[in-house]
Amino acid sequence: MATDYLLTKLPVREHGKNIVKIVKYVWGMDRYYFPGMAISLLLKTAVPYAELLLTAYILDGIGAHTGIREMLAVIVSSVLGIMLLQFLSGAVYHRMEVRREQMYYLYECETQTKMLDMDFSRIDSPKVKELQDRIRKDNNWGAGINGVFWSCSGIVENVFQLIGAAVVGFPAAAFLLRSKTAAVWLLMAALAAVQVISVCLRMHFGRQRDRWRYHEAESVQEKEETFCFAWDFAGQGSYNYKNGKDIRIYEGYDLMERWTTEVLRHKGFRDPMVQASKNDAGEAFFGAAAGAAANGGAYLIVVMIALAGTVTVGNVVRFAGAFGRFLEAAAGVVHGVPTLAMAARQQLGTLALIHMENEMYQGKLPVEKRSDGAYRIEFRNVSFKYPGTDRYALKNFSMELSVGEKLAIVGMNGSGKTTMIKLLCRLYDPQEGEILLNGVDIRKFKQEEYSRLFSVVFQDFTLYPFPLAQNIAVSEDYDSGLVRKCLEDADFGDRFVSMEKGLETYLYKDYDDEGVEISGGEAQKIAIARAIYKEAPFIVLDEPTAALDPLSEYEIYSHFDKIAGTKTAVYISHRLSSCRFCDKIAVFHEGGLSQLGSHEELVKDKNGKYYELWHAQAQYYADDGMR
Amino acid sequence: MKHNSVISDIWFYIRLFRKHEPLVLVFGGAEIILGALLPLFTIYLPKIAIDLVERKASSGQALLILGGFSILAMFASGMYKGVEAGKYNLYNTQRTNLMGMFFLKSLRLCYADQESGENKKLHWKVYDAIWGGDWCAVSQMVRGTIDLCVNVLRFFLYSTVLACLSVPVLVVLLVLALINYGINMSHIRYEESLREQRALGQKHFQCVENAMGNVNGAKDIRIYGMREWMIGLRDRTIGELRELARLSKKKDAFYERIGFALGAVRNLGAYAYLLYQTQTGGVSAGEFVLYFGAITGFSEFVNNIMSSLAILRGAANGTDYIRAYLDLPEENRKSGRGRVESILLPPEITFEHVGFSYKNTEEGDKTVFRDLNLTIHAGEKLALVGANGAGKTTLVKLLCGMYEPDEGQIFINGIDRNEFPREEWYRLFSIVFQETLILPFTVGENLAVDRAERVDEVKAWKALEQAGLKQTFQKQGIHMRSYMTKTMTADGVELSGGQKQRFLLARALYKNAPVMVLDEPTAALDPIAESEVYEQYNQYTQGKTAVFISHRLASTKFSDRIILLDDGEIAEMGTHEELMRAGGDYARMFEVQSSYYRRETGVWADREALI
Repeated sequence: MATDYLLTKLPVREHGKNIVKIVKYVWGMDRYYFPGMAISLLLKTAVPYAELLLTAYILDGIGAHTGIREMLAVIVSSVLGIMLLQFLSGAVYHRMEVRREQMYYLYECETQTKMLDMDFSRIDSPKVKELQDRIRKDNNWGAGINGVFWSCSGIVENVFQLIGAAVVGFPAAAFLLRSKTAAVWLLMAALAAVQVISVCLRMHFGRQRDRWRYHEAESVQEKEETFCFAWDFAGQGSYNYKNGKDIRIYEGYDLMERWTTEVLRHKGFRDPMVQASKNDAGEAFFGAAAGAAANGGAYLIVVMIALAGTVTVGNVVRFAGAFGRFLEAAAGVVHGVPTLAMAARQQLGTLALIHMENEMYQGKLPVEKRSDGAYRIEFRNVSFKYPGTDRYALKNFSMELSVGEKLAIVGMNGSGKTTMIKLLCRLYDPQEGEILLNGVDIRKFKQEEYSRLFSVVFQDFTLYPFPLAQNIAVSEDYDSGLVRKCLEDADFGDRFVSMEKGLETYLYKDYDDEGVEISGGEAQKIAIARAIYKEAPFIVLDEPTAALDPLSEYEIYSHFDKIAGTKTAVYISHRLSSCRFCDKIAVFHEGGLSQLGSHEELVKDKNGKYYELWHAQAQYYADDGMR
Repeated sequence: MKHNSVISDIWFYIRLFRKHEPLVLVFGGAEIILGALLPLFTIYLPKIAIDLVERKASSGQALLILGGFSILAMFASGMYKGVEAGKYNLYNTQRTNLMGMFFLKSLRLCYADQESGENKKLHWKVYDAIWGGDWCAVSQMVRGTIDLCVNVLRFFLYSTVLACLSVPVLVVLLVLALINYGINMSHIRYEESLREQRALGQKHFQCVENAMGNVNGAKDIRIYGMREWMIGLRDRTIGELRELARLSKKKDAFYERIGFALGAVRNLGAYAYLLYQTQTGGVSAGEFVLYFGAITGFSEFVNNIMSSLAILRGAANGTDYIRAYLDLPEENRKSGRGRVESILLPPEITFEHVGFSYKNTEEGDKTVFRDLNLTIHAGEKLALVGANGAGKTTLVKLLCGMYEPDEGQIFINGIDRNEFPREEWYRLFSIVFQETLILPFTVGENLAVDRAERVDEVKAWKALEQAGLKQTFQKQGIHMRSYMTKTMTADGVELSGGQKQRFLLARALYKNAPVMVLDEPTAALDPIAESEVYEQYNQYTQGKTAVFISHRLASTKFSDRIILLDDGEIAEMGTHEELMRAGGDYARMFEVQSSYYRRETGVWADREALI
């Protein structure tokens, strides 16, 4: 199962690879960050050791009755030197922090950016969904990519600490080796044992904690005990405040209570929380206790040596300080590496998604630019199943779209109308058969150029919370005159006049509080304006009037000729009335083309699907009333 | 909105924890006490060590004193960090609880209040205050409170230690602390001034992020070649954030340098003073280390107090939103004498001089109805038609009690509706709203909108059958315990747009309330399915009062009466035949729509004549 993948044991080499992978990736985003951070940390680490040496010097000076003037000279220069170190380290650090923030944001939207480039057929694929799901869970705990940055910094800092402690505390080794007191050696052994044991316990508790923390509910019962509706849906997802109407009318409060606050009292919800808490506490206890032991033990050992021999008071502070720091830093490294390994592991999903390669064949042929718009499309024996399904959405489908033709497509829900449009734009490639543009397989064309041929208003089109004009021109730069004209043509003129900020009006309130809310019908008109602005030789409208009242519907119908002009136009609708102003009507049934012809021809065929569909609707408009 | 004092906000959480998770309070208390004592170990350790060396104590003594001291320190710091980490999950569970309380509260408000612009804004602020992990107001409040207490205690403890050294030194340090306070304040103020800009920048970034990641838009992005546009917007918003980070870090560096410089001055002074004291014999080497440690620690605590106060101020703001939301007045669900059982069903509903306007919209108040008078007779099938924005959906919301009229009254069988507790009033209606909602729960729970154990399976299957879904469900092996959507199980039931509309119809039929309202129930259906709904409409509404809203005027033919709304007024009213004869707007709309369907009509010429 994919659920507990963060917890499975990995060989050390694999962890190493993961760490290299993610560090390499972020290093590629900004080459200066890691070296800069290392410099800053190096300078920063020097500070406490300089202070330690200074304290030792002063204490020894006091013992040796050194002249106060001489000592003050050393103190002043040291303090100024330390301040300089701090200034330098800080200056570099803050610059690196700006870089880190930028990397953080860039990295955070890498998976979304990837959506722009991915094969369309894969966006919705189980594999991508699984990865997205994993990424979401990975980032549920920890600090995401910042976790990688921070644990790297932590390890580097601890390594510098080790070096600093070794340099400053080095002479202590000689004293230690010369010491003949058995107690000192015993203490050393005890202290080392305490450190080792506590690191082990810390890791044990950490692993236990992770077991609870990253545990995924598997069975439905387990999910029922842990799923809090409010947490996932209160502000996002498929629920919004408008749904509150249904909850009220259908007296659903009790049901909602069962799925929100009541869940928290379930065993399945509480147990992992309490267990993780215990383990968190255990891990932290041993970490801190070991730290205190390191400091206390270091002093104890140094004092024992000093009492037996000739260590000065200053050196007691110096050696004990260095020794304590050394032990703490060592534990820090030992603990930091697995932390980094986990942080790196949590980024694997993101990296896998970012590095996912496209599978669709990318042709190289340029699409010939024709001012006469003479592009002819032919579907030849096309069969297609959506990825991950067994049912043919289109089966052995053949049809031609001639230049300048106005075609209506009708059929029942699920008969393959929208699928055909998606294949036409090459959002998917068919499994069998081919689609030809002026006789050439569309796979051979450069996708970018091929896409330019089509303006499509999908049933579920999307507008973005950016300025109106940008939505139409799909660019930050736009031709204001043309945008205005397109809005006029799409019958949006009246509403546009009432917009105070004109073309710069933000749609919705997500980006800009001053943005305007638009109704479904208005959104449809803007989407149509966007299609007109593109000036593509093919224009496709998929159910453009579903949200409109009869008169607005009529407006769109009557503008249709103007919108389409001499272009090849395809029009999908459940309202068969709209077919009447198309040259030809294609009737889709169960993934195939069942009829093709003009309304007059089709409506005569009493056994045809069109006849059935037409009369299902027309009966209500007949002059003689109902039935 | 009411601004509460920080203390009262802290008290709010204390009450919350006491009720739901008292262990957080125990852990927090232990953390405060241990946290206050801990630094003493750090500064006394070198002193004790030096003293031992200076007075040439025996090894045994050293072992006993230092060893004992170390073990004590081990336990104290172990416990401190243990309780600190241990409470983390516990208070985070309370965030989940708070999210649940907040969500349930939103359902107890009057719907109109939930919908109003101001509360919608408040809703998002509350959401942010609970949602954002360790940075959200709830978490910050817990951290900030404990940090503040710890550092205040440390401040007093250290003051005591330093007072033993010399009161003037303590006074000098306090003055330094005051200077530090001033500097810190201006730093914090600067940070707070950036906060709003940063929130805005993050909002912009998220908008672009969502736009790029929105699966629904992927088709449009490809067809229209929006890649460059999106990347451009992304880089622009990240640039915005980077600039803010640059400003903020620059200030950080500046204030940090001041801090370092002040620290250097303080250290120089401390060294010189303590050195002088050792010369005169007032201070031993051990005390030198002790006091020096105390002096440096002292100013650190002052800084900590400052920053935890700043955190608390920010978090208190978020907490105020939470409390304000939880304090919003609720819908009156219970009180009132009216009972559905005591009235004659199906009911007659009357609007008398009803006036209603939307408040707090972008354009200020927006009046929908001025003086609406309407009687929906008992058992009548009413059709409601009109252009987009004519007030049809608003009328439904007034009818079912989502909105309260500003003026006038609504009567049921002649009884004022306010006699009924709202819960009772809701029992009168089965409504299919335009927005579809499928909850990630079981089929049964979705149909009954009630706990699984209370679902009447027989009734549920009958409703599904009437809505034309029974066969589909049975063929796919879907039963009442099957989960809907993919949230709970990978093989959860997913419905197509048309099936969703049928499912919601089934839900309305399951409830079987005396008044049935369908708002555009066929928009996503193909002609055959649409026709099926029309044909069964009479059966759905048998013995009920019914309202049908649709843009497809065909639906009006099986209604007893049609009401054409225009700009909040009843423009026309009557049967289909009457209205057609009257030749008004309704007739014109019907003509426009039906013209396409009439065989003999020519294609273009007649249509032009109609408008």
